[in-house]
Amino acid sequence: MLLTCSQVYEAIDNHEGSFCAELLSFKHPHVANPRLQLASPEEKCQQVLEVPYDEMVAAHLRCTYAVSNHDFVEAYKCQTLVVQYPFGISGDYFGYIFSSLPIPEGFDDCRMIFQAEQQLLRKGKGKLGDMLEKAAEQLMGCFRVCASDNRAGIDDSKKWGMLFLINQLFKIYFKINKLHLCKPLIRAIDSSNLKDDYSMAQRVTYKYYVGRKAMFDSDYKPAEEYLSFSFQHCHRSSQRNKRMILIYLLPVKMLLGHMPNHQLLRKYDLMQFADVTKAVSEGNLLLLNEALAKHETFFIRCGIFLILEKLKIITYRNLFKKVYQLLKTHQLPLDAFLVALKMMQVEEVDIDEVQCILANLICEGHIKGYISHQHQKLVVSKANPFPLLSSSS
Amino acid sequence: MNMLLQGPLVLRPLYLFNVMHLPLFFLSDSISRLDQKCLFNSSHSRRRGQPVERDFRQHHNQGVWREVQEERRQESIPRGVCLSMCPIRELQDREAQNLLHRFEVLSGTERERWPRADPSGVVKEYARPAAGKDSTRPSDLRPPAVLLKTVFYLVDNIAASPTLRPWTEVYDFVFDRLRSVRQDMIIQRVSGADCVAVLERTVRFLIYASYRLCGEPLRLYDPRINDTHLQESLSWLLECYTSGKHPNQEEFQALGLLYNLGSSRATQHTMELPERIRSSPVMHLALSVSRAFMERNPVRLLRLAHSLDFLQSCALHRHLETCRRDLLLIYSHGHSSKNCRFPLHKLAHILALDVPLTNQLCQAHGVEVRGDYVVFSKTSFTEPEAGKLQCAHFHDLVDRKQRDLTVGSIIHGCT
Repeated sequence: MLLTCSQVYEAIDNHEGSFCAELLSFKHPHVANPRLQLASPEEKCQQVLEVPYDEMVAAHLRCTYAVSNHDFVEAYKCQTLVVQYPFGISGDYFGYIFSSLPIPEGFDDCRMIFQAEQQLLRKGKGKLGDMLEKAAEQLMGCFRVCASDNRAGIDDSKKWGMLFLINQLFKIYFKINKLHLCKPLIRAIDSSNLKDDYSMAQRVTYKYYVGRKAMFDSDYKPAEEYLSFSFQHCHRSSQRNKRMILIYLLPVKMLLGHMPNHQLLRKYDLMQFADVTKAVSEGNLLLLNEALAKHETFFIRCGIFLILEKLKIITYRNLFKKVYQLLKTHQLPLDAFLVALKMMQVEEVDIDEVQCILANLICEGHIKGYISHQHQKLVVSKANPFPLLSSSS
Repeated sequence: MNMLLQGPLVLRPLYLFNVMHLPLFFLSDSISRLDQKCLFNSSHSRRRGQPVERDFRQHHNQGVWREVQEERRQESIPRGVCLSMCPIRELQDREAQNLLHRFEVLSGTERERWPRADPSGVVKEYARPAAGKDSTRPSDLRPPAVLLKTVFYLVDNIAASPTLRPWTEVYDFVFDRLRSVRQDMIIQRVSGADCVAVLERTVRFLIYASYRLCGEPLRLYDPRINDTHLQESLSWLLECYTSGKHPNQEEFQALGLLYNLGSSRATQHTMELPERIRSSPVMHLALSVSRAFMERNPVRLLRLAHSLDFLQSCALHRHLETCRRDLLLIYSHGHSSKNCRFPLHKLAHILALDVPLTNQLCQAHGVEVRGDYVVFSKTSFTEPEAGKLQCAHFHDLVDRKQRDLTVGSIIHGCT
């Protein structure tokens, strides 16, 4: 116990930021050591370390004690203390030391926050999102400190902590479904001159969240860019992360007309998309509706159900293209489309609706031609009546 | 218990701190706590600044301080004891200052210089919380049972009254008094069945009003203010639904979805509802309407709209303008050809309008009408000039559903 304290002391003295951070982080194996899990370690800490480090380490040790007892609410309270101290310091000397710490490590334990949240809910106290909102407020405070740090030089600046804090804030905002709060953070990074110099891991996470936000706002082209970047640069070994990125990248790519192949889906265990992909490329509305219904829970949980419903338009287009290919004429009777839709068991569709769907496809640029109401026919252009999806989106 | 409430606020700084949060909440009703914190940048003193004294810190660190604060907050929730619709003090004040509303005056004394108050008609009005003003005096607060009685009075005797005119004035009065009811509920942290009963009627009233007063001049009715309050009440109501069983939940989830048609937030919220709610007939219909809107299929949407009941149509009606405009746009592109002859009566049928109105709509959108036929052309479609089209003229789809429904039954929900 004393050994750990003196390790921390040495680390701080020698400005070894990352080692110090490890000793205070939950990812380090030391947290499993029962001799460190103490309910009141304050005295021992005070012996070795100065204010406020003693508080910080004591809080951290109390945290390990709480976690070992599965009292996540208490653990969260202790963790917030650990996190506050680097930012509570106003003295120049301390500020210098702390700016060399990768402050982020203390926050990495966001899952503790989520677990604390779950526990509170089970006890029936507090609303969903209460704990997360409080955590977000804390993080926002820290972020403001980082963003306004103009004193130190670029190497020691607290600005390096910005992207990490933003990523944590994004995590929380997505969880509590307050995406509009992401906008000022995105603006802050866009205007920063450090944005390309952060570590790749942080940038991948950042682009993942920004891509998801763009998707939610229906900006599919930028969403595709961000998520593709994220996917390509995500480390090969983080399969779970790659899968998460893919869950959002796939619908966007499908909307732009690019269907994934089976190997990709199998590799990342995303076979839920297999039927959807097949249905869309074949123009099979029936299969699409079945696939969406079958995996409804999964899609809704990921928040992509509504976007996948937009694939219906693409499916109509593919279906109607087949009708055109079958009839081999440029003057297609509207009845043929009605028959095709009825075959797909679309409920309550009549000729007026067929006209509407066709008109919509023409309006969106997916079909080149016009409808003649008097002759009840769709007249398509002789050259490329069904342009490629990627060009017309 | 009462002693605690009436104790001087000065003695308990923590309590003062909590109460100070209330004005912020009122002034910006629709902004959540989180947004407030970001905007106003308020911070607990312990979060920032100098490290505090050791012993206070120890207390704090052990988590005791937090528990004590929680307990204190529980004890200090105000409980109202005013058993009439308006606290005596306010009634006397307003009567003395000649500030009674026309509907609160004793009949026979309206023309007098100082009209007398009708005790069975005076209702507590909404007043902004202000520094120095104590909104938590129990004698000024009405308990939940009285609040519900007040709402019934407002609906049955004022909103549904066949004699009180004009309805814009009726609306103003009921709107303000309902706002005061909600304020009392917030101060007393009312929740559960009472809260739900009040909010359901509030939401129905505001939706009905959004339709009935559509088209009234801005000085008499502001649709944006109505919308703000409707959204707030609706969110609060939907939050109440997350705990306990509520028989009308499907009705209001559907109304929320229809009123906020096209909003991804509202649609996502609906998708996350439990299966048994989503599969109820009323929700199924609302979801079909929403899907038709998202797929931009106005023909289907307008056809489905025929099956909605009166209040649902009221909730939907402000989107009909967009819907019809979409249809004209899509058809302008889809039927664009020199020889186009689309029958006018057919278009009228699809738009759920009569022929003269269809004609008017087409002209406003730059769509050419030649006799009995419409000539669609993608180049001639234009967006209508702002304010040229009056939504109120195109209300037939909603109007014909009212039939012999009374305002009272619409708001109480016994249709």
